Amino acid sequence: MTLLKHRPSFKLWVGVLAIGVVIGIAGALNVLLNGHSAVYNVTREIPWGILIATYVFLVVSSTGLCLVSSLGHVFGIEKFDFIGKRAIILAILTLLCGFGAIGMELTHPIRMGLYTILSPNFSSPIWWMGTLYGLYLVLLCAELFFLMKGMHKGAFAMGMIGFIAAITAHSNLGAVFGLLEARPYWHGSFLPIYFIVSALVSGGAIVSMIVYFNHKTTGEPMPQKYEDFMGTLGKLQALFLLILVFFVVWKIIPGLYGHPPEKYEATVAVLSGPLAFNFWFFEVMLGLAIPVILLLNKKTRTPYGVMMAGLSSTVGIFFMRYDLVIAGQLVSMREGTADLVGGLLQYSPSVTEIAIVIGAISTCLLLYTIAERLLPLESDH
Amino acid sequence: MKNKRFAMVLDTRRCIDCKACTVACKAENDVPLGPENYRNWVGEEKLRGKYPNLGQSNTPCQCQHCGNPPCAHVCPTKATEVNSDGIVHVVADKCIGCKYCMTACPYNARYYNEETEAVDKCTFCTQRIYAGRLPACVETCPTKVRVFGDLNDPNSEVSKLLTKYPSRVLKESQGTKPYLIYII
Repeated sequence: MTLLKHRPSFKLWVGVLAIGVVIGIAGALNVLLNGHSAVYNVTREIPWGILIATYVFLVVSSTGLCLVSSLGHVFGIEKFDFIGKRAIILAILTLLCGFGAIGMELTHPIRMGLYTILSPNFSSPIWWMGTLYGLYLVLLCAELFFLMKGMHKGAFAMGMIGFIAAITAHSNLGAVFGLLEARPYWHGSFLPIYFIVSALVSGGAIVSMIVYFNHKTTGEPMPQKYEDFMGTLGKLQALFLLILVFFVVWKIIPGLYGHPPEKYEATVAVLSGPLAFNFWFFEVMLGLAIPVILLLNKKTRTPYGVMMAGLSSTVGIFFMRYDLVIAGQLVSMREGTADLVGGLLQYSPSVTEIAIVIGAISTCLLLYTIAERLLPLESDH
Repeated sequence: MKNKRFAMVLDTRRCIDCKACTVACKAENDVPLGPENYRNWVGEEKLRGKYPNLGQSNTPCQCQHCGNPPCAHVCPTKATEVNSDGIVHVVADKCIGCKYCMTACPYNARYYNEETEAVDKCTFCTQRIYAGRLPACVETCPTKVRVFGDLNDPNSEVSKLLTKYPSRVLKESQGTKPYLIYII
């Protein structure tokens, strides 16, 4: 805690991130040299692992940043105007690093580029995911361009279309999981809606960190305008989090009630099985409880407290993504599968998978740090 | 000429769990070595009864060549195709390795083949059946669990078996309309 209160050394920060990037590159080289099956722990029965979870985490962050920043330059809430450029630039970087993470999971990213155009399958949610996020990326870049040039009409137009694209792309990402009838834990209309709500939490949390730390690096006391903003953001974030709590509770109850086949086993895996520590410690405590307490209490709803709540829920949200992706696959699709532990399949990420996750997140933060140094991101409002 | 509707009818009472089908399939179809790489398998059902009165069945299984295949619906590049005779197969060159089909298949019938660099699965041995031969698993089965044929032909052995006996498919509630049909 005291470490964060003091101004963090810029060199140390860049150094740590650079090490993270190198770890990521080492992981990626290991995959390219030895092949996916040799270095990843994903299996025939659990084909999606931590890299897919990281991809989801990063693109949820991107969507959230876009949605929260649109409160300012699209919906006209003036307090939010000044975060526009920073939020959009980080939205672009999280999206690109998310693509990087899923690119390392795909075995043929180049074929993807070719055949999504030559042989598109319009009934595939992943086809729509690629297309909509591609469109969303272009819109974000256009929006950033207009913001940097100070062209407000253009930025408003792009922001508005970008907002719609973000909602569409992101609810579709929920549908990538939600349309799988074979996976009862995911199946249904819940996930597309849940993804939008959790994106708001992600976006709010990251914005609170951007504002706090950008200001911190200047070494001057925080201006009143920023303090007010952090207070408003804190209240808004408390609302988002409480809505998310509602969603978490209503995800669990139908999973338990009446023991629905396969859904029940997956829900129990989360509540008291192999994912229970992730759920109770990271998701519930760090992700929801601590931030809600910090934000609802007027005494702790200081800029520092709002940032800490954001940091805490961001860590928690990473585990929400991981648990969601893994829990949906833990129940075997067929009778008589060997190697079950407690009736469930096993997955834990390999060293290489973790290295790539570290690399993706470090790259994103490092590029943002560089952008912050090189580009004029202070708002002209 | 009328299209065929290829199907396989299985009598699980005859299965002795020798796994010759898996071995024949791996040899015929160049399935790479490794415990995760197989196109077909023999599932062990739960043990029935109490000692000394015990019973157990085995369910030989593979791709169900569904009439409503979820794998084909979710593939972003149409790498999974259904041919005119109902055979679900993967065009390796189009597969991007997203493994969406593997999460969509309720039978876990697919695996990632590192040698062809694409998701792979049972094809009913197309290379054999269009040359007038039987799929490798059918040909090798010592107790004749498996019968392969065309359901559009009322005189085929599969059609006759399904007329004679009641039958079931796996996970019918998934709505996949499987064409691997079990008469017990």
